Amino acid sequence: MGWEEMQVRGYPEFVRTAQSYHGRPIFALFCGDKDAEGRSWCPDCVTAEPVVRKELHNLPDKSVFIYCLVGDRAYWKDPNNEFRKNLKLTGVPTLLKYGTPQKLVEEECFKAELVRMLFTED
Amino acid sequence: SVQAHKEEDNPLNTMEANGLAPVPDSYDYDLIVIGGGSGGLAAAKEAAKYEKKVMVLDFVTPTPQGSSWGLGGTCVNVGCIPKKLMHQAALLGQALQDSRKFGWQFTEEVKHNWMTMTEAVQNYIGSLNWGYRVALRDTKVTYENAYGEFVGPHTIKATNKKGIEKLYTAARFIIATGERPRYLGIPGDKEYCISSDDLFSLPYCPGKTLVVGASYVALECAGFLAGLGLDVTVMVRSILLRGFDQDMANKIGEYMKEHGVKFIREFVPIKVEQVEEGTPGILKVTAKSTTGDQMIEGEYNTVLLAIGRDPCTRKIGLDKVGVNINEKTGKIPVNDEEQTNVPHIYAVGDILQGKLELTPVAIQAGRLLVRRLYAGETTKCDYVNVPTTVFTPLEYGACGYSEETAVEKFGEENIEVYHSNFWPLEWTVPSRDNNKCYAKIICNIQDNERVIGFHVLGPNAGEVTQGFAAAIKCGLTKEQLDSTIGIHPVCAEV
Repeated sequence: MGWEEMQVRGYPEFVRTAQSYHGRPIFALFCGDKDAEGRSWCPDCVTAEPVVRKELHNLPDKSVFIYCLVGDRAYWKDPNNEFRKNLKLTGVPTLLKYGTPQKLVEEECFKAELVRMLFTED
Repeated sequence: SVQAHKEEDNPLNTMEANGLAPVPDSYDYDLIVIGGGSGGLAAAKEAAKYEKKVMVLDFVTPTPQGSSWGLGGTCVNVGCIPKKLMHQAALLGQALQDSRKFGWQFTEEVKHNWMTMTEAVQNYIGSLNWGYRVALRDTKVTYENAYGEFVGPHTIKATNKKGIEKLYTAARFIIATGERPRYLGIPGDKEYCISSDDLFSLPYCPGKTLVVGASYVALECAGFLAGLGLDVTVMVRSILLRGFDQDMANKIGEYMKEHGVKFIREFVPIKVEQVEEGTPGILKVTAKSTTGDQMIEGEYNTVLLAIGRDPCTRKIGLDKVGVNINEKTGKIPVNDEEQTNVPHIYAVGDILQGKLELTPVAIQAGRLLVRRLYAGETTKCDYVNVPTTVFTPLEYGACGYSEETAVEKFGEENIEVYHSNFWPLEWTVPSRDNNKCYAKIICNIQDNERVIGFHVLGPNAGEVTQGFAAAIKCGLTKEQLDSTIGIHPVCAEV
């Protein structure tokens, strides 16, 4: 209630979407691509996604939650991919509050308490 | 005794307030830590390891200029961390100048952008604040951004920034509230001057700056501001770096003077007025001589006060629980187990009387204290031979006695001082000073020429000093030092 979700794929689409919501709190979850059956190549992302989704109701009003598929495994492993270079992501899954140093990486995303803290703190 | 305890706490016991019958000797928490800085957080995280129920209260009262910051205390937010980063920014400026002599060619003039640096530093600090939040939550330490004060022997009142008050009880407490910069108490000081609490997040370049004070804070700030290209003057009431080896202090001052920092010695400001508003504006400072009637005036964009720090112990209800403080200084006397005169109340960090005000000391004291309380350990914090470094433009690292203190304690005839100038290899090509870097050791003749004082003035002094501190802790003697072969070509080999 009071927040919306956008689903994007790839770096340019992520940036366009984030910029279009400038001025509102933006939270983003970055995961590896999903195959035709909806399964990600990234096992930690598979674990994290339901934990994160369960906490979404804690998002502040007017927030935007961007669910971003970063690409296939080969793209992600490339140390020069745009997510690593420009957003300084070091792993997937990463859950962050855009424009702040607040983020949770990999196993940190499995912990509901930490996800809730990220969504509700200033 | 259970009865007496209940009676004392009755009006304020949280559980009773909630309508629950109080269980004797049962508190909300095993431990409440007041202050989420270096000492407080180290103690809290350590206690959580022993499965204790711990709460940390941290609250930053905004400065007169309105500055505030997140969890982590002075070191992380307005001390060591941003200071070292800005010192590094200044060193890089110098390195850029040196680089031309090493063959790097660039035609543009090199300029510094204050906002770029400050935003990057604040961003890093933000990630540290967040990291502490995650660490506390992960180790199940309860954290409240609220101002804690004692209202009963085992009860704390926590007031958050919206003014909402809550009460919490604990079996034991650790006071780790740290210090805040002192003001001069002259007209215009709080309205117009800034302190180190404001400097590292200042949203505009400070411009022409007057630094008042001769502490390491004053000299480090003056040093990096000048290194970034600003016009800097330091106003000193008497000596530089009181408490430090004065021989070294004077060398630091000389170096800074030769490298563009102006010093006004033996004057104190008596009023600060605003000439022009702005970010920065223009301030007029009137100062009086300490040795006569002479008065001087000067105009600056920014006046930075760095005349000392006062412990945050006067408004946390210590009188209500009978914890003694030194009325004059505000510091808390503790025994060698960091215990105050009230057995279940302890203290760590900068607020301790007679102990060094350093982050690693607070961390060590906090951790060992908790291990003694909950893990049956007996090790006490060793406050002797703690190494320190002052990050002035020419860095100064020290461990052990200053020359003056050694003479006072052992007698001039019983100590031997060995010293040497050195010229860092990296400084040769760019023709930087060949006679400013300096190292000296002070030895106790009566004890096998044991090294009791180590002082080095030069680049990377902190890195150099750390290893020697370990050696001194092991009882290093001059002979052992002489028989240690040097690494070449490094400054430390001297």
